[in-house]
Amino acid sequence: MAFLDITGVSKRFGGLMALSDVSLQVEKGEIFGLMGANGAGKTTLFSVIAGHVAPSAGEVVFNGTRLTGLSPSRICRLGLCRTFQIVRPFAGLTVAENLRVAALYGSGRKLSAVEIARVVDAALEAVDLSDRRHLDAAQLTLSGQKRLEIARALATGAQLVMLDEVMAGLNPTEVSAMLATLERLRGDHRLTFVIVEHVIGALMTLSDRILVLDHGECIAFGTPEEIGNHDRVAEVYFG
Amino acid sequence: MILGVALAVFGAAVPAFGSPYLMGVVFQVAMWIALAQSWSMLSATTGYLSLGHAVFYGVGAYVCVLLTGTIPFELALLAAAAAAALFAALVGMPVLRVRGPYFVILTYGLSELVRHVVMRIESALGSFGRMIFDVPATEVLLWWMVGLAVLATLGAYAIRHSRFGAGLAAIREDEVAAETVGVPVTRLKLLAFIASAAIPGAVGGLALLRTSYFEPAQAFDPVISFTIVTMALVGGTETVRGPILGAVGFALLSELLWSSLPQLYMIVLGVTLIAFILFVPRGLSGLVGRIGRAG
Amino acid sequence: MDTLLSGQLLFAALVSGSLYALVALGLNLVYGTLRLLNIAHGDLVMIGAYTAFWAISLLAIPPVVSLVIAAALCALLGWAVYAGLFRRMLARPDLAKRVEANSLILFYGISVILQNLAALAFTSTSRGYQYLDTVITWQCVSMTGNRLLSLGVAAAVCFGTLLFLRFHLFGWSLRAVIQRREAAQVVGVNLNRVQMLTICAGFAVAGVAGVLVSMTEQITPFMGFPFTIVAFVVIIIGGLGNIGAGVLAGFCLGLVETYGIALTSPGYRSILIYGLFVGVLLLRPEGIFTKAVRS
Repeated sequence: MAFLDITGVSKRFGGLMALSDVSLQVEKGEIFGLMGANGAGKTTLFSVIAGHVAPSAGEVVFNGTRLTGLSPSRICRLGLCRTFQIVRPFAGLTVAENLRVAALYGSGRKLSAVEIARVVDAALEAVDLSDRRHLDAAQLTLSGQKRLEIARALATGAQLVMLDEVMAGLNPTEVSAMLATLERLRGDHRLTFVIVEHVIGALMTLSDRILVLDHGECIAFGTPEEIGNHDRVAEVYFG
Repeated sequence: MILGVALAVFGAAVPAFGSPYLMGVVFQVAMWIALAQSWSMLSATTGYLSLGHAVFYGVGAYVCVLLTGTIPFELALLAAAAAAALFAALVGMPVLRVRGPYFVILTYGLSELVRHVVMRIESALGSFGRMIFDVPATEVLLWWMVGLAVLATLGAYAIRHSRFGAGLAAIREDEVAAETVGVPVTRLKLLAFIASAAIPGAVGGLALLRTSYFEPAQAFDPVISFTIVTMALVGGTETVRGPILGAVGFALLSELLWSSLPQLYMIVLGVTLIAFILFVPRGLSGLVGRIGRAG
Repeated sequence: MDTLLSGQLLFAALVSGSLYALVALGLNLVYGTLRLLNIAHGDLVMIGAYTAFWAISLLAIPPVVSLVIAAALCALLGWAVYAGLFRRMLARPDLAKRVEANSLILFYGISVILQNLAALAFTSTSRGYQYLDTVITWQCVSMTGNRLLSLGVAAAVCFGTLLFLRFHLFGWSLRAVIQRREAAQVVGVNLNRVQMLTICAGFAVAGVAGVLVSMTEQITPFMGFPFTIVAFVVIIIGGLGNIGAGVLAGFCLGLVETYGIALTSPGYRSILIYGLFVGVLLLRPEGIFTKAVRS
């Protein structure tokens, strides 16, 4: 069985089918890309997996555990954590405190003070925020807050991290810095990522495999090269 | 920590000097410290501002008046605290789903609802206020109240500096994000609610023993809730000493004004509260901290 | 059973229903434009009631004339509150945020100040006067002139406002502000002016309600709060910012209350109102929220 196994997930909001019969398998250690125009259902899929939204049909199995019906905090403690497209830092806490909360609660195990400090330091290091650890999260730039989102997910000890448009709103310099950060994280083979990205170039470079959603349906699936040559994708994206 | 010890020493010193008036004042000060600190265990940590803490005080007083005479008063006080905590546990789940201004007004409404229900029960029983006789000596009650103030202060301190407190702070900042990084939001909120209800229950019982008279309209008076909120917010919610500063300040002011001009006291309370929310959001304790650093 | 079906009870329900609709209408107008729940709203009813009382007892001005005076007085107060407090505060983002987070507590502070100022100025003695209290009997329904007047004025103001909102250009811009504040500004609605006039109107409506209440009920400095609670119940049931549904919900609450009391006893009135209040907030927290967020 795959590390993350999604079968036949649908989500209906009133008359709108946000997701219809989506299935996908994410293998351990890979970077799995999700692509699609605005409103294609990417964020909804994240919310379903992370437990923020209950699916109308289908199920999500992570690492052998059925996630459907579990609370987001429970899902996080099982090792799956997401970031938010519109960042949600704990604005009044410092950067380090943000990560400390994640380390204290994210793993579901009681860690010692020393272990907590080590997890926090490692997460800060991973996203280059070590020098800003004592700032209030609210004082960070958007790019800093996006990094904080990633670090916070890492600090929970998650094995699978879902990144929701961590490059959106960043300037070109910041995008390439972020790309370097993600490339470095990928070197750590204990982590698995599912990423949603509007910056298609970045998605193509990073992902091992890509799934394309359009109006809640899967329309293509394959390696970046295959997706680049896919007729239907070209049609949706380039008209 | 130091504050707690100082409080205990202060409380211990008073009965030795023994003027009944002074003991009355200290009883009041300790009572408001205990209430404001308990309030801060929920409201300062999570940002869920309760405007209904009178309900816990009232439940405690009611349980205590029903039990006095049947069991020793120490046990009655324990039962009062337990009843208040139990009440919080029962209503907590649905109440804590409501957020922001709606939570504030809901806690107020809930407290008023219970007040009217108890008033109705009492008048159906044909009781218009209950006197109790054979209450413990004033010194004993004072000791208990000071003990509760110290306990509440230590409790508030312990919560803030624990894993539990870190989770509550995350809830205050962003509940959805807290949930996403593994904080069991519902459970922590409920625990904080229960923790913040227990001591006010015992305080209500003690205050009842001191006045030796129970009347539901008084025991559940919304003015209690409002005074707690004002003391805590004016004192400052960011530190443990904040509620102490607020409670001491207003309790002393109340000694000056309450007996002669109660309305003026309430007006001062309202004006100070508004001024502090708008212009001194960190409260007295923030001010003191700033002066301390400057000097 | 006979009394339940009588026109007498229906008349009573309509009288109180129209008053509730009127009070809630004012609260809803203010909420719709400021996005703040004014918990001091009921105290404007109190001010209107005192206006009518002093006008008739000192100057022999009949309540019909006081309707205009109270409306003007409360509108003036609304202007003062907006120009003196909110315009500046809402323009500064840091203050605006604080006002929003603590709005309920802030307004509760204002309410405490108003009540105690009134108690200081007029004492807590309940007041009343007689006006149009001869009984008129029509088709075996007996009613007093003042209740009839109250029903007529309240219904006229409610439906007048609804028609105004639907057919007058200002009404359109007001509805635009309630539904989409930013978009309304883009298409040229003067937000400042709309907000100010609406607050004046909302306050004035509460003043009018106060005059109507004063004709049939006792006047005290603390009479306002129950009206606030009733208005909250009404606009939460009707949907925050939804003016028309709010008016309908006001009449419904009047019916429920009158028949509820007829089936039990007047002692249950407060329990019924607070019970409804708590129930509505508990059962529809998401509903209330999504509405507030979406609009």
